[in-house]
Amino acid sequence: MKLFKFILVCLFLFSNAYANTIYELIKIPNLEIYNIKTKNKLRYLYAKQPFTIGIDNNINCFNSTKQDLKQKYEIIEKNLNRYPESFLKKVNLKYIVLCEDLSISGIGTAGIPDNLMKTLIVDIKFNEKYFERVLHHEVFHIINDGYKEIFDENIWSSFNPAEFNYAECSTCTKKIGLDTYLKPNGFITEYSRSTASEDMAEVFSHLMYGNLPDTVDPILKKKIEFIKEGLLKIDENFVL
Amino acid sequence: MIEKIKASRSEKIIFIFVIILGLFSITSFVLLKDKCLFVKNYDPNKINFKNPNNIAILNVECGNVIIELYPDISPNGVERFKTLVKSNSYDDVAFHRVIKDKLVQAGDLEFGKKGNIDYGKIGTGKSGLGTIKSEVDKDFNYTKGSVGLARSLKYDTEDSQFFIILQDEPLYEGEYTPIGKVIFGLEALEKIKHLNKSEYVLRPDFINTLRLIN
Repeated sequence: MKLFKFILVCLFLFSNAYANTIYELIKIPNLEIYNIKTKNKLRYLYAKQPFTIGIDNNINCFNSTKQDLKQKYEIIEKNLNRYPESFLKKVNLKYIVLCEDLSISGIGTAGIPDNLMKTLIVDIKFNEKYFERVLHHEVFHIINDGYKEIFDENIWSSFNPAEFNYAECSTCTKKIGLDTYLKPNGFITEYSRSTASEDMAEVFSHLMYGNLPDTVDPILKKKIEFIKEGLLKIDENFVL
Repeated sequence: MIEKIKASRSEKIIFIFVIILGLFSITSFVLLKDKCLFVKNYDPNKINFKNPNNIAILNVECGNVIIELYPDISPNGVERFKTLVKSNSYDDVAFHRVIKDKLVQAGDLEFGKKGNIDYGKIGTGKSGLGTIKSEVDKDFNYTKGSVGLARSLKYDTEDSQFFIILQDEPLYEGEYTPIGKVIFGLEALEKIKHLNKSEYVLRPDFINTLRLIN
C-alpha cells in the first residue's frame, strides 16, 4: 500500500505538462504555467518545487502555497500591466517566475532579472511594505541591461556631488534601507547610494509607483529627467 | 531394439502449445521489428490541395509527411525554407534532436548529413546563407504538428534547422518563427528514432527527401 501511495505521489509530482518546455526556454527547472493569457503577453510561471540555478548553483527559490500565489499574483499583475506589450518586447521581458525565499549566494533578494532569458524571478514573500515598488525596481534592471548606452552610469554619476562615490557592488555596502527619504538630497532612499544602477532603479520605481517625495532637490530632479528621457528613447509612447 | 513409445495426451497438448508459442514469437518479432507497420503512407498525388504552391513533402522512413507552409505569417522564414528545399539541401539530413512525443528537429546541413555526421557539433551547423530575422510578432497557435524554425538562445539566429512538434506547445508562440503545419502524416514522425536519456540522438534517422509539390 505504501509503495502504491509512493507511485501515486510520484506521478502527481512528475507529470508536469510544460515543465520541460519551460526549462528549454528559460533554463529554470520545476516551473509550471500560472497564467499566460495576459493583456500584455507576460507569461507568469510558478515554482512547483524548489529550484536551484546560477553559477555554482548560487540562486535558490522555493515553492509557495496556492493561496499565497493567488494573493500576490493579483498585486504583481496589476503593477506589471502598466507596461504595454510593445514596451516589454523592446526591453526583453516576457517571463515572470513566482516563488518565495529567493536568495543569491545566501543573500535574500526581492527579484533577480535576467535580460538574456527575458525573465524576472520575483520573491512573492518579499517585505510587503516595499513589495509593489520593488517590482518596478527589478523591471528597471531588465530595461537597464538592454540599454546600457541610454542609461549611462558615468553621466548618471556626474549628477552627484564630486566627493560622492558609489560602492563597488549592491551587496558590498550596508546601505540597504528602502524607506523613501522625506527630504532627499540627491538620493531617494538609502539603497540609492549603493550603486549607480540601483540608484536609477530606485528613482524609476518611485516614478512608476507614484510615491516621489513632496520635495525634490535639484540633483534628484536631474536624475528623474534623465530616467524619463531614457524611457522615451526606448519607446516614445511609454507613459509613466 | 528400439521400442516405439506412444505420446500421451498431455504430451501432445504441450507439444502443440510449444509450436503455437514458437509461431507467435516469430510473428511478433517480425511485426514488432517493422516500426512503420501501422503507419499510413499518404500519397500527395491523391490529395487535392487548396494552395499547392505552399505544400512540402517530407519523406521519412515511415512515409510522407505533408506540410502546409504559411508565407503570410512568416514570409522570410518560409522563403528560406523553400530555398533550401528547392536545392535538395535537406536530403539525407539527420533528425538529430528528438524528444519522444514532443518534437523532432532536423536541418543541420553542415554537421548532420548522412555519412558526414559530426556528433560533437551537430545542432550548431550553418547553411551558408546566413541567419534571418525571427518572425514572432503575429499570433500563431503552436498546436500539434506545427513547424517552426529553430534558433539559438537569441532571436534573429534562424538559419536552416527546423522542428515539428508532436504535442501542443502554447509557450512556443512568440518564441519561434512558425513556418507551417503538418496536415497529413504526423504519425510517421512519431516513429523517428529517439533516445530515452538524451534528446540528441546517436545513429539518428534521416530525412530521405524534402520537396515542394510544385
